[in-house]
Parts: sequence; structure tokens; C-alpha cells
Amino acid sequence: MTLLFARSHQWLISPSLKIFSRLLTLLIILTLSGNVVVADTYKEKLDLQPLSGQFLLASFNFQSHGPIEAFNKQMFQLFPRSLGQILQYTHTRELHLRFALGRWDSELWGAQPGDGQNAGGTGVETWAWVEADNDVEAEARWTSLNNALSGLFCASLNFIDSTRTIRPVMSFNPTGDYPTTNTSRLFLLHGSLPKEPVCTENLTPFLKLLPCKGKSGISTLLDGHKLFDASFQSMSIDVRPICSPHTGTCDIEIQQTIDMVLDISRSLQRKDSPVPRPRDQHELICDTSKPYASNEYCYPMDNSIDLPWSLSDLFGRTISGGCPFAIKIPTEETQHVCIHAPENKLKTMETLELAAPAPTEGQPDLKCYVLRENLPFDLSFPKQQPPISPLRQEPLLYAERSFTGHGQEHGGVKTVLRNPNPNDPVEVVYLESLPWFMKPYLHTFKAQVLPAFDGEADVISELYYRPALDRKRGTQLEAKLVVPPNSVVILTYDFEKAVLRYTEYPPDANRGFDVASAIITIPPHRQGSDGKIIPATSIRTTSLLLSLPTPDFSMPYNVIIFTSTIMALAFGSIFNLLVRRFVAVDEVQRVDLKGKIRGLLGRLKKGKTE
Amino acid sequence: MLLIKQTPDSPWTPILLNCLRPSQVPIYISYLYINYLYINETNKMKLPTLGSLALLSLLPSACLAQSQHTSNWAVLVSTSRFWFNYRHLANVLSMYRTVKRLGIPDSQIILMLSDDVACNPRNTFPGTVYNNADRAIDLYGDNIEVDYRGYEVTVENFIRLLTDRVPPDTPRSKRLLTDDRSNIFIYMTGHGGNEFLKFQDAEEISAFDIADAFQQMFEKKRYNEMLFMIDTCQANTMYSKFYSPNILATGSSELDQSSYSHHADNDVGVAVIDRYTYFNLEYLETHVKNASSKHTLADLFSSYDPVKIASTPGIRTDLFRRNLSEVLITDFLGNVQNVEVDGDGMILDEDLLALARSAGYNITEQEWKDAMTGGYHEKTQEERDNVVGEQRTWEGPARVHRDSESDFWRNVMSAGAVGVCFVGYWVFSMIDKV
Repeated sequence: MTLLFARSHQWLISPSLKIFSRLLTLLIILTLSGNVVVADTYKEKLDLQPLSGQFLLASFNFQSHGPIEAFNKQMFQLFPRSLGQILQYTHTRELHLRFALGRWDSELWGAQPGDGQNAGGTGVETWAWVEADNDVEAEARWTSLNNALSGLFCASLNFIDSTRTIRPVMSFNPTGDYPTTNTSRLFLLHGSLPKEPVCTENLTPFLKLLPCKGKSGISTLLDGHKLFDASFQSMSIDVRPICSPHTGTCDIEIQQTIDMVLDISRSLQRKDSPVPRPRDQHELICDTSKPYASNEYCYPMDNSIDLPWSLSDLFGRTISGGCPFAIKIPTEETQHVCIHAPENKLKTMETLELAAPAPTEGQPDLKCYVLRENLPFDLSFPKQQPPISPLRQEPLLYAERSFTGHGQEHGGVKTVLRNPNPNDPVEVVYLESLPWFMKPYLHTFKAQVLPAFDGEADVISELYYRPALDRKRGTQLEAKLVVPPNSVVILTYDFEKAVLRYTEYPPDANRGFDVASAIITIPPHRQGSDGKIIPATSIRTTSLLLSLPTPDFSMPYNVIIFTSTIMALAFGSIFNLLVRRFVAVDEVQRVDLKGKIRGLLGRLKKGKTE
Repeated sequence: MLLIKQTPDSPWTPILLNCLRPSQVPIYISYLYINYLYINETNKMKLPTLGSLALLSLLPSACLAQSQHTSNWAVLVSTSRFWFNYRHLANVLSMYRTVKRLGIPDSQIILMLSDDVACNPRNTFPGTVYNNADRAIDLYGDNIEVDYRGYEVTVENFIRLLTDRVPPDTPRSKRLLTDDRSNIFIYMTGHGGNEFLKFQDAEEISAFDIADAFQQMFEKKRYNEMLFMIDTCQANTMYSKFYSPNILATGSSELDQSSYSHHADNDVGVAVIDRYTYFNLEYLETHVKNASSKHTLADLFSSYDPVKIASTPGIRTDLFRRNLSEVLITDFLGNVQNVEVDGDGMILDEDLLALARSAGYNITEQEWKDAMTGGYHEKTQEERDNVVGEQRTWEGPARVHRDSESDFWRNVMSAGAVGVCFVGYWVFSMIDKV
């Protein structure tokens, strides 16, 4: 503990104190060398991979391990105390938290990094295994977990209530090891908030969980302005216990990842002028390969040119040396920055000569570096002539989901699952968590296979369904199905839209209501054709925007106006009836002013004469 | 308080009323010395030399007793949804930046942002919020903690936050954990009207709601002093209903006046800041450079120019017991705290009391203690009546709308209208009879 404390100060303090700090560290090492100190280990790695269409995928991975006994005794070393105490208080054994923005374009970019295990649906998604005696206790702990996390991550996770919580049956399996815990005491709960914005206030606490807090190591590149300018970005936090099968000792692991897809031309343009403006005509690169190209008109080549870039261009800064925790015990496997690109492209790459290259045996299209403390690192990737198509990994499955139908009352959902593999079928678990006001008709749930195929009736092998209860819980629909090789499965179902109460509408009801992404899980399996083992993969569709019948919110005022009008009319006529005296025309005494005046005058005259 | 009123020019006033400013210390020391000489000459009392040293050492403890707060909190609320209200979020974030700059930590700032403009798809500059077209300062920065955001910013949550009636699982970052030694700065901005402020374009909070919430806070001993600042149309009506002690309130515009935005940024595409907040910030940024600034709220308020702000800002001081020229801006916007020492800290008060008596001031022991501990002085009905007329606004005509005035004329008008109807009816019925 003390050792780490002293080392952690090395990069915080001024150079004059550095020597003292070094001495102190040495002293502590000497004094502690007699005892066996089990310290947490920490790894961090940045993977860069150019994608097609001038996109660059940057995957940040931060991982720390520590003995679970120390964790249980609240002796936190590298594990963030703020999160650790929440997990202990709520008896959470395994936690997965996801923040995502944008859409992963699998047609263009291929398979998601990390087999999609680190990706979440749009907005915020979280699932956890909570240890409890019964359902009620588990739900209470889940609620307090979400409330605590909402305070920690500045997100409205407290909105995950019973209507947004589901308990998936097939989609999720614990990734941690539980040798001592009775698995019947572990409850899986899953919640999602598709509307939740992801912004700097979520990144700030994310970085604060890291041992180097974004001040050194690869996390120095994580700047909110660049991250939220990316075409796709996803942040994840996973906490799980891991046990060694040999020694039987258990560790607690926290893994934080950030995947971002940068648009290189956009990022480079930001560097020149902060406001994205259309390019000047002379800056445009015209596509002359088109048959309709001429000298008069320029058809600009969009994103297909191979721009040179460097880390400092894209992220606005260089990596300011390695994180002291990550370079503490260098091993042969230590790699901090890796770039995946075709071999001939890598040869021309330049780095600031301040990092040692790490060995990468048998992988010609990979180049890795080990960072050094306090020495900045940059990497520049030159322009390639001719442009080389980057590495792209074909995804196991393409998935798309959309709304069908029209009107304010009914609608339909259509999900298209395409298996690009020519030989092997894919078994998938399809999970939907729908809000209570979207009520699917289960009898309309159908799967259609294109091209038509004999065993079409058996495509869906298992189906779990939990119908919604108004204002209490949402619908959970989980289906296991097989997508035959080189074909498309289309899932469809119809639903009915509920009418909400006046006060249940959000302030921006006319925008629509977000429906969480469908979660498609491919369990680990062995491919039939080549015997290759495929690890568990997950894919998220985009979220949907459901428009519900919304009332006219000025209705109360209209009601007041109408009511007042009717009251005025009623009052007026009744008042007339009560006050007026109705008589026949001939009965009316004529008010003859002339006659009256004449009469008066006559009387006066009479008086005078008398 | 009583003591001070009796002897307004007493040499003890600086000690008793408030802290000495550093510039006053030499004057004060020389004053003590002269006093000492005078006492020696007249042989009324032989004060040991140590005694005067002790007096000097007592100065800081006198300060402690008077400026009572031991923590500073800020509640910053933007209540408007939608992209076109960008400026309201910029207002609040500017204030967030200011209080953070002056030392209030994130854990003591409750930031309520009603919409996400920084990462809004319509924002040309993702992850940023600017309050000026020169875009010199990114208010969102790299380190921001938003406590309530989006749909969480509701009237209910705001009142719950103030009164601390929160659900059981609420995390600490979403609670206002203040006590009777906390100074709270409350800043609100949004769209409002006569005695109401809209939340999220869907609901309203009324001036009475806030006043009652503040009274509940007072009853629960949740604040020492409070500065309420509001930038909205007809803002001054929002604080007209306050009735709890030790609240200083200021607003951007009086009844039937709109508050206007300052300027727009063409690249952002919308107005980026409101005038009142802009000129507040201008003063704070140019004058209050750091937490040790000695600028007072009187300085800040006298910087308000109704012509520049385009509305008449108001200040309500009748509930506040200190003189504005003695209230530092950092008492509310900064994190200048005093350490509270256990016990009364008045070891030498007998000496000082004896000295004061020997100098001819007729002070009872109880009065002395009250003045030293600065306990809350409950106003009598008579005193309350006296201060009604003090509810003033800055620079002439900006007066807070009060019920008693306008209601009279309103009643006269409505009575007149009813009378006219009645007379008309009578006249016509008479004609009918004739």
C-alpha cells in the first residue's frame, strides 16, 4: 500500500522532489522486501486499427487485478474505493456498465472489437449479478446499486426501476468464477436507458476510476472533445471475480474499455479550423474515375483518400509517458500501444523515438510499443500511395431493426438477421426489453427465412416471454433461433400503443419514446466447417424511436375557455329569462315621449291660466 | 446586536460586528494603544501589558464568532429544455465555473442541468458549452460533475433537494448536506413570469413554493445565510414572497420586465448568455480574481447598470442582517471557511469585558456574550414593521412587487367595475319602468 502510494506520487510532484521520492521508494522496497506484499497488477493497452473509409478505431483497455480477500476487507489498492464500496454495500458480485453513442456500422467497419462484448446499446445499459436471499431483496439491492451508480457516474441510472428492469434467461451468463457462492443466490438483473445522453460528465468519473486518473499513460489521450466528436464511442466497466483453477485463489478484476471510431478527415479538419466548414473548391479532390466526370464539375471523393495522421493530430495531444502502475513490472507480454495494419503500411510508420518496440511474433500486420515513464509518445502514419484496403473482419451476423406500420394505435417491429457465412449456420439468442406502453401481440411473432428453406418452422427453438403490466414492468421477449448459412431471417411482430396519462408524458413527448436496443447474443461454439472455436459474441441493434399518441398539452386551457363560453351562454340566457317580462306586442304600453311632454306642457299651461 | 445599536460609534464595533479587515488592523492596534495609555493616565485601572497582547490575540476569535459559516455550498439550476435555451445552460455553467474557480469543490456544488447541450447533435462543438462568441473559455471543460440532469430536473426534485426529503437510496452527490453553519448560494435561470419559473417547459415552481422551502430549510437549520440569485423574466417577483431570515436575494428584472440575452454566436447558432448573468460574470471575472478577494456584495450590486442589462435588477436585503458593504462576495461564491473551535473560545473575555467597562461602556455580561457568540437575534414585531420599508431594489425605480400595494388598487378597480355594472343595471331598469 505504502509502496504504491509513494510511486503514485512520482508523476505528480515537481522534479526537485522526484529524487527524494525515488529514494523513499527504494527505502520502502528495502524495508518491505522481507514481507511478501501481494500487490494489485495493472495493465493498459491502446489498440489502433484503421478501418475502411478513413475511419480509425481506437480501443483503450485498462485492467487491474487484486486479491479478493483484500477487497472484501476494504483494503483497496488499485481498485477504485468509490466503486468498491458500492459493490460491497449492495452485494453485487459482478457488474457490467455500458455507455454508448452512435452506431457501429458493421457493413463498413466489420466485426466489433472484442467480439462486441464491450459494446452496449445506445445510451446506458447495465447488468449485474446481485447476491441475495430472495427476489425482493435482490430487487432492493439492484435499486440501491443503480442509485449509487447514478451518483458516481453522473447518469440518470436511478431511472432504472421495475419498468426498465428485466431478468434475461439465455442471453447473459456470468463471466466471473463463483467457487464458493451458491449460484441460486445470484440474481441477474438487467436495465437499459436508451434516451440517456453520454457526455463529458460521464467520462470524468470514468477516468477518475483509473489508477493514473487520465494524467499519464494512454488515458491522457481521452479528451471529451475528441471522444464525443467520434462517429461511434462506447465506454464499458466490468467488475468480476476471477479464480485460478490451479491455486484456488480468487482475484477481483476491473476492466474499463473505451472503443471509439474517429473520422480522420473530420478530426484533421478540426485541427485547422474548429468550425467544420465546406472545403474550398481548390481543396477538393475530384473523383475522375466516374464516367460522368468532366472538367467543368468536380465530384468530390469523400473519405476515400488516404490521409496521413498522427496521434497528436487526432487526439490533440501526445501520450505523456507510461502510467507508473502499468510499467512497474515489465514482462515480455507488456504492450502499451499496438497498431494493426497491413504489413507494408506499417513499415513506413514513424514514432517519436521514445518508446521501445514490443515483440510481436508471427503477426506481421501488428506493431506494438512499450511506453516509458515521463517520456511522451507519438505515432505518425504517413500517406500511402496507392491506398491500401485495411484489414476488415467479417462479422458473424448483421442485424437491423426497424418499425413498420403506421398510425397512432398499432405498429410493428421487423428485425433482419443476416448470416454472411456460406457454410455454417449461426445460433443466436434474441432479446428485447420493451417499455410497458408498447404491447406486443405474441401470436404475431413470426420468423421468415430468405431464401426459403425446409425447416422454417424450426427456426425459433425457444421463446421466453414476460408480458408487460401497466406501469409496473415492461415486456421481455427472448428467443433462441438459428440463422441458416448465407441467408436472412426476418423476425416480425405487431404491437399496440398504450395511451399514457396526462402527467406521464415527458416534457418533450412529441420527440417520441426511445425503445432500447435489441441484444443479440451468439453463444460460444465450434464452427462446423473448419472447427474454429468462436467465442461468445454480442451485437446490439440501434434503438428505436416510438411515437405515441400525444395529447394536445394546451388542452386544459382549451377546456377552461370552452367551459367559460358555455357558462357565459347559459348564464346569459337564464338571466334573460329571469329578468325580462314577456308580453304580447299589443299589450305594450307605448312610451310616447312627445305625448308626455305635451301633457306636461298642457298641465303647466293649465296651472298658469288658473 | 442590541449592544451595537446602543453604541454605534463604539470602538468595539469592529470586533463585535464583523471581522477586521487587514487594512484596519494597524489602526486598531494603535487605537488600543492609545486607549491603554489613557487608562494608565487616568489610573482607573492598571491593565498589565500582557492584557493588551491578549486583546490582540483575541481578534481572530472575534472574527470566528461573527462570520459564522464553516462551509460553502452552491445549488445551480437551469430549468429550460431544448437547444434554443442553450444560453440558460451556459449561464449556469458560467456560475459553476466561477464557484469552482473560487474554491467550492464539486462535492459541495449541486449542478442541475435540464438538458444536454454539450453533446447535443446540434452542437457544432461536441463536448463544449461557450458563454461568449469569442469561445475563449470552454465551460464544460475536462472535469465536470452534473448531479441532476435531463428529466431529473423537476420541481419536486428541487424542493426535495432543498429540504432534504429525498428517497432513501439517494447518493451523497445528489444531496444538499448543509447545516446551520453553511452559506448557500442558489442560482436559478430559465423562463419565468410573475411569481413563477418554468421547469422543463412542462411545470412551474411558484415564488410561494420556494419561500416555503426556504422556511423549511430555516426551521431544519439547514443554512446560516443564503444568497439567492435568479436570471429570468420578471425575476424579482420570485423572491418577493420570502419570509425566512438571513436570505439575500437578487434578480435580473422587475415585474412586467423581460430579461434579455446578451449576444449570439453565429457558429453555435443561438444566444449564448443572458445579460444579467453576463454583467455579473464580467464583474466577478475582472474583480474577484481569487478566493482571498475583499470585494463585497455591495460592490457587485453597485456595478449593475440597468441600461446595460436592459432590465432593472433588484436586491432584497430586509431579511438579511448584515450590511452589504461588509459581506464579501466570497462568503457565498467562494470557499473561504472558518474553523470552528470547540468551546466558546472566549478565554479572555473577562479581561476584555472589564476593559470595555472601564472605558465607560455600560455592558451587561449577557449582552457581551450574545454579541460575542453572535447568536441569531429574533426580531420583535416592532422591528419587523420597521424594516418593511427597507425592501429596496437597486438604482431607483426597481421595486419589488408587493401584495399590499397593488392589491388595494386592484380591489378598488374591481369594486369599481362591479359598481358600474350595478349602476348600469339600475339605470336601465329605471328607464324600463318609466
